[in-house]
Parts: sequence; C-alpha cells; structure tokens
Amino acid sequence: MKAKPPHRDTGCGVGAGRPRREDARHLAGHGRFLADVALPGTRNVAVVRSPVPHGALRSVRAPDGVSGTDVWTAADLAPLARPLVATAALPGFRTAPLPLLAVDTVRYVGEPIALALGDTRAEAEDLARRITVDIEELPPVVGHRAALAEGAPRVHREWPDNIYATTSVTAGDVDAAARRAAVSLTREYTVGRQSPLPLETRGVLAHHDRAEDQLVVWTSTQTPDLVRDAIAELLGLPGNRVRVIVPDVGGGFGAKCTVYPEEIALAAVATRLDHPVRWVEDRAEAMVATTQGRDHHYRLTGHAAADGELLALEADIVVDAGAYSVHPWTATMDASMASAMIPGPYRVRDYRCTARSVATHSTPLGPCRGVARPAACFGIERLIDDLAHELGIEPYVMRTRAMVGPRSMPYTSVAHKVYDSGDYPEAVRRVSRLIGHQEVRARQRATDPGSRTRIGVGYGSFTEQTAHGCLEWASRGLAVTFGVESARLVMDATGSLTLGVGVQSQGQGHETTLAQVVAEVLDIAPERVAVRQGDTAYLPRGDGTFASRTMVMAGGAAYGAANLLAQRLRSVAAVLLDEPPDRLRFEGGSIVGDRGGRTLTALAREFCLTPDHVPGADGGLDVTFTYRPEVQTGAFTYGTHAAVVRVDLDTGEVELLDYAVVEDCGTVVNPLVVEGQTIGGTVQGIGTALMEELPRDSGGLPAVTTLGAYRVPRAPDVPRIRIEQLHTPSPHTVLGMKGVGESGAIPPPAAIGNAITDALREFGARMDRTPMTAARVWAALDRAAASGPSRAPAVAGARTDAPGGGAVPR
Amino acid sequence: MNEVSPRLRVNGAEHTVTVPARTSLADLLRDRLGLTGTHLGCEEGVCGACTVLVDGLPVRGCLTLAATCDGAEVVTVEGLTGADADRLRAAFSREGALQCGFCTPGMLITAYDLVRRRAAGSPEEIRAGLGGNLCRCTGYQALVRAIASAAGESAGEPGTRGGAEPGTRTGESHPRDRA
Repeated sequence: MKAKPPHRDTGCGVGAGRPRREDARHLAGHGRFLADVALPGTRNVAVVRSPVPHGALRSVRAPDGVSGTDVWTAADLAPLARPLVATAALPGFRTAPLPLLAVDTVRYVGEPIALALGDTRAEAEDLARRITVDIEELPPVVGHRAALAEGAPRVHREWPDNIYATTSVTAGDVDAAARRAAVSLTREYTVGRQSPLPLETRGVLAHHDRAEDQLVVWTSTQTPDLVRDAIAELLGLPGNRVRVIVPDVGGGFGAKCTVYPEEIALAAVATRLDHPVRWVEDRAEAMVATTQGRDHHYRLTGHAAADGELLALEADIVVDAGAYSVHPWTATMDASMASAMIPGPYRVRDYRCTARSVATHSTPLGPCRGVARPAACFGIERLIDDLAHELGIEPYVMRTRAMVGPRSMPYTSVAHKVYDSGDYPEAVRRVSRLIGHQEVRARQRATDPGSRTRIGVGYGSFTEQTAHGCLEWASRGLAVTFGVESARLVMDATGSLTLGVGVQSQGQGHETTLAQVVAEVLDIAPERVAVRQGDTAYLPRGDGTFASRTMVMAGGAAYGAANLLAQRLRSVAAVLLDEPPDRLRFEGGSIVGDRGGRTLTALAREFCLTPDHVPGADGGLDVTFTYRPEVQTGAFTYGTHAAVVRVDLDTGEVELLDYAVVEDCGTVVNPLVVEGQTIGGTVQGIGTALMEELPRDSGGLPAVTTLGAYRVPRAPDVPRIRIEQLHTPSPHTVLGMKGVGESGAIPPPAAIGNAITDALREFGARMDRTPMTAARVWAALDRAAASGPSRAPAVAGARTDAPGGGAVPR
Repeated sequence: MNEVSPRLRVNGAEHTVTVPARTSLADLLRDRLGLTGTHLGCEEGVCGACTVLVDGLPVRGCLTLAATCDGAEVVTVEGLTGADADRLRAAFSREGALQCGFCTPGMLITAYDLVRRRAAGSPEEIRAGLGGNLCRCTGYQALVRAIASAAGESAGEPGTRGGAEPGTRTGESHPRDRA
C-alpha cells in the first residue's frame, strides 16, 4: 500500500518529537516487568545448569525427601513436551534439536539440566544446589578453527563434521575483474562474541488457569505469538488454549527473540501443578544461557581500480554458532546474512562468497542488534580503508567513488537486495564535514613525531536492511517466514481509541509512535489512542519486534487500520450529517462536511449507544488491517559514521575524541525516539568496537560470567555523539518510513577500527578484530614493529613519513 | 534459618518486617513491601538499577542486607518526591532519557543525588556521576542532557537545598506500601 507523505503538520502526528506515553509509569516506578508480576501462590524456579562445555550426563538425582514435583528433569518433561527443533530449508542444513532439559549430553556451559522449585527464589536455589548431577567431562570444541580442524570431536555425534550449513554465492566473473584491478588485498577480520545484554534478564511465569482452561505464560520476549505457537505445538495444545502475556520488557536487542527452553519447560511444568511457577534469570545465568551474538571470522579479498572503484569481492565467512540451532533463526542466520551484506553500499557486480556456520561447545548464537551487519560492515569497511591506503586515496573519497549513487536508485545489489532510495555518497561527504576531516588531518600533520600518542579519523558506511518481507526470510531458509503485521483499531462509545498490535516494544516507544500514525490519519491528539501489545489471546497476530521492522510494518498496519476506521466514520457521519462521505474530512477531533460537523466523541457515542440513529451505516467502529511489504527485501536505511580517536602508543589505550553520524531513515515519525535509537545503538556499537567480549579459555570455560567482568559502555566512556539526518522517503513503504532500530549499532566497529588504523598508519599496525582493547592495539603495534618498518606505499609520490597514513595525498 | 526484623521507614511509612537474615534490602522492598520500582539487573552491585536512598545516600539495594537497615530511612523511586524529583522526571521525559525503563529508577535516584549535591555542573561531571549506573538503551546522551537541564533549573531556584526531603512527609504512605 502506498501513501502520500503527511499533508500537514498538526504538531502531534507523524514528525512530531513528542515525549513518550510510556515515560510516566517508568518514572513513577510503576512499570511492570516480568519479575514484578505477582500472582497468588507463585512458587519460584531455579535452573540447574551444566558447569562444563561438553560432557556425558550420567545421572541427575534429587535429594532424599524432596517432593516429586519440586525437581524436574528431562525424563519428567519427556511426556509433556517435545524439544525445540529449528529447521531451515537450506541445502545440506543439519538440525540440532535443542533439549528443554539436557538428556544424555551437555554441550555448553549454562545448558539447562534440571528445575528446582521453592517458595522463594532463594529457596529454589538452595534446592538446586542439593541436586546431584553426574557428568563425565568430554573434550570440548573451542572456537571455529578447532571446529573445522581435521579429526575434531563432533558437537553432534550423528553429523560427519561440525558444520550446520554451507552456503555460497557466485555472481559475475571475479577472476576477470581481478585482472583489471590496480590493487588486490586479502585480509582476515574477526568480530568477537558478545552479549546483547538487555538490562532486564529473561524470565517466565506460567500457570494453568483452570477457570479458563488455558495455559497462561508470561514471558519477557520480543515475539509473543512466536512463543505461543511454539508452546502450543511442543505441548500438543490448540493455540487457543495457550495465552502468552508480555509485560514491560527491559530491553531485548535480539536476546529475547528466540524461543527458549525455559519458556517451554515452565509451560510444561505448569500444566501439572495447581500453582503458578516463575523463573527469573539471574545475571550469572544470563551471561551463559541467553543467546550470544557475532563471533564472525572472515577472509576477504578486495579488488579495486586505480580511481577507487571497487571491482570485485571474495569472502570466506565462518560463524561460530555455538552448540545448538535456535528457533526460529537457526544457526545459519548470521552467516547467510553476512554473505549478503558484505558488499555493503558499493557497486560491486562480481562477488564470490562461501559462508559456513559451525558448531562448537559454546552458548547458542542468536540475534544481536544488527545481527550480521556490524561484522559485515567491519569487514568490508576495514578492507575499503586498506585498499584506499594502497591506492593513495582518502578513504572517505574512495567510498564516495565506489558507492551506489543516487541516480542508480532503486538499485539491486549483487546479493539481490533492493536498495530503495537515498544518496549514499552525500552521507559520507556530510559526515566528513561534520567530523572536521581536514582539521583532523591538520592536527595529524602538526603532531610531534616524538609524541607518545597519535590521533586518527575513520569512517564506517552501512546499509541497514529493515522491515523485510516473507520472501527475504524464505530465501534464508527459515521455517517461519515473517513479513506480515496486523493492527486492530477500535473506537469505543467515549470516542477513545485502542490500537491492538502483535509487535512488542522493549523500549522503542511503540505506544507513542504507533499512536502518532493513527493521530495523523484522523487528526486527533495521539493521547486519544491507547496502544496495546503483548497478549496473544486478545490482540491481532504479529511477528514481534526485531529486524528494525516495527515502524514500517506495524506502523503500516496502524496507518491502514486508521484509514479503514476513517471510512467507517465517514459512513456513519454521512448518515448523521446527511452529506456524501467523500465530502467529509477530519479536522481537530471532528468530522466535518460542507454544512456542519460532529466531534468524533459525539459521533462515537451516538453510533455505539444508539445505532438505530444510524441506519445503513457500513460496519462497526472496529477494524483490522494487515500490512504486507511491497518490496520483499525491505527498506534500506543507510548512513556513515565517523570517529576520531587518540591512541596511546605505550599502552594501546584508545580514547574516543569525537563521533559523528549522518543517516537517512526516510520519514521520521518521532525525532526524539529516532535519536534515541540511533545514539543508543551507536553506543552499543562502541561497546562492540572497544569493550564487549565473551572469551573462553582453552578448556572452553567462559571467562566472563558476571556483569562486573563484562566491559560495557558507561556514561564516562562515550563522547557526545553528533547526528545529522538526511530524509529520503522510501518509495516502497507507507509514509516513506524505514526502520532504524539497528542502524546505530552497525558501523561503530568499522569507523573506530579505521580511525585507530589511521592513527597507526606510520607504524603499519592494523585493527583486524573486535573488541579493540588496549591489549590488542598494543599487540598490533608490537607485531608491526617486529615485522619491520611500514611498507612503502603503493602509489608513487606518497610520503611514508606523513602522519595519519603514508599514502594519503596532501 | 535465622531471621531478622529490621524496623525501617520506607517512603515515609514505618515498617517492621521479619525476613530471613540473608535477605537483601532490594528483595525486602520488592517482595515484602510490593515496591517493585526498585529493579534488579545484576544482583552483584554493578548495574545500579536497584539504587535507593538510605538515610539520604544512594546505595545498591542488592548489596545491602536488610538486616543492616534497622532504623534506616529508605526512599525508593515510588517515594521520590519534591521539586528536584519533579524537575528530573519532567526532564527525563522531555529529553528522551529513558527507553525500556528498567534502569530508570536507579538513574533517577542517582540523578537526584547528583542534583542535590550540586554535582551535576557539567556534562563531564554528570557522566562521571552516572558511572555506576548502566543504561543499555539510551547511550546516556539524553540522560546527561536531562540531568543538566534539571540541575540548571534547580540551581536557579533559591533555597531548594533546604527544601523538604523526599518521602519524609509524616502520616502519609504510598498506596503501594500497603500492597
């Protein structure tokens, strides 16, 4: 469905930077998160988890004298529920059923083994500690290299190796393009494993409501209907006997859009008990048992012409997807998405890529804000900088030359993605001015060579695929092909409106922004529209909130529903005002014709309470609209980030001196909300770049199991981020909106990696893996020093002694 | 199991609560008094979501044993009142300083303490002051803006330092105290 951009600025509809409806309850301490839900008689659950990465589970024994319903093992659950099996239609894909509780093997530290019930959390934990678990440790597969090594132990014994799936892309003629190249470079890049780290951990509260004969499951999730469907299917219940309720969700970032064993297990247990059961994940569990992100390993080759044109790319992608495939994403999502995103915003027609998802004895990989894009962006953008350096071209200038230009829009990428609109090079030019590129270069030139610090500037350009449709998910082989979103809009007898949606906020502000869309259509105050989410029994089916899809999809559905309701209101008003419907318009809370008008409040009252006054009106004031995207690969937000860093040559410490963002997410519904998404995402990306890491020791044990040990950006760690926006409405979405939830998180590792590398060009030290901790920066300097002086630049006339990069023309 | 019965004044209301000796202040507030605005993000003293005022000072509710709070005056987000609290709440919303709302109670208590101590004079000072509170959503920028704005309004108003402390109104208790 197409729609014209907003025709007027009412100051309250689309485009208004309104404070959020959600704020008051949270500021009063009246938000209700999973752990705040109190149902009478609730007993608490603690989960016994595997302390080893790989082992044979010999026995699980409850202490003597404990009630049979206080301890649950795999054997107890077996008659009640089936395991989670994520499937994909990719050729050669291997399934790895995820047990609800471990049966005979444990494959990662944190894998659930048993449930212990107690009146309080503390008592449940006391009992959990008294459960005897006998595990015979087995050698673990630690890291992607070990997984692929000849003779490696197999994570899943029935497989011939440790590969979930291999996909490949061949487009054009890479070898012919390579022969035309002025420079070809091969580099290896790694983006480490990290946690999405929502501040609220996961949690589940389940009870069998015998009055309704319904299994009610409260859970902290991004995808209520997906969880409901999985519970119904795995417990063998009709969907209408399972109700999933989602209260306020304290952040998700991808950690809460997978169906988890705990959700199914607690639901199963609740069917056998006469009281509610609740599990609230503690942080130590969250660090090992909640899905983790990234862990991408690339070998990339780029071929470029002398003028900076990017001719061809080759990519060998390996993703360590952990021990199991999670539903519905499977273990292949990151690798397949990376293969499509590595060409980035560039005009590449010749591309060859192999992507392997491998199994190791680590926590299953799941979505993490940006999914594969931050890693793909790090890879291609670091490569672009190194190519530019070899060519003697300013990296930002090379970007503008190699990018898809505005006149090529819409542009179908080599990976068959439709880049719908915008001016990619302009974002680069704008951000280079915003960051003060020439001033940074001047400061570099003025740097005393004897100084023990260097500064550098770097860029990261990105596209953000948002709000993709069913075919896009089908192309990745998923069993659940998301891509449809519904909204139900009801006007009641008081003239207030309720918009029901199946998406689920984790802080994005849906209650505000979706109301603004309705307000825009009906020209009413958004406060008149209550937005309801998170109840599968009473709200329209939805896919949930992830993949930067909500504003486009649920916003599109809200827009459609508001227009349907407008039709109904016109039909009612036509009778009451005795004017043809097409002469009626919405103005300031009223519906107005040539001869008079009626407030919507009066109209609703008359229609709802005395429908006999409105003979012949067409339908009720209760409508549902289902949105499907017009173009299946979605709407592409894009932009470029720029960072300025200071690097301490003695310690490797990196200080972020400045950070600037230029991005284009099309029509903005609420600038305050969009700014929050962009800056919040950017700071998460800064965490990916410089701090966040979940390393394992050589024995496969997680080295970070507490929040205190996990370095994550805090207020003093980040500079003020400056943002400029371009506004190119998408031609393919309602109102021209594009998604923006993930964009900020995508380019910071690239921009910062390039800035550090720029600072250290004279030493030849390159940043090739995240997080770029002081130790890694120092080690890169040390390696560069050991391998001798920096190579002579590839282009004649460039100076090796120039600060900030020998090959940069002055 | 050993039990303790600390007597606390919480948001202006007196409570004597018998709990296992190992109970944290945060668990007492949440589980026994129904004050679920105090959130638990890590239970290891790192995230700051559970920050409450004890005798006027911000403390981690998760690391504070309830037993040590006998005779203490406790203010949680539900009881944080007064002109500075109002200004902070308005500024948080105006500037977009919250998204999911999970860190918000701890942020608000910490910000209140910074404003009252006149320790929110510059963005750098505010960032340093927020160093013990983790926010995963906002990237802190809007928080810094909001606190600077509220601190500016507070500084511009004479006599606020001597104003009534929050939650000390006698004879009043927050409705949720009785939950």
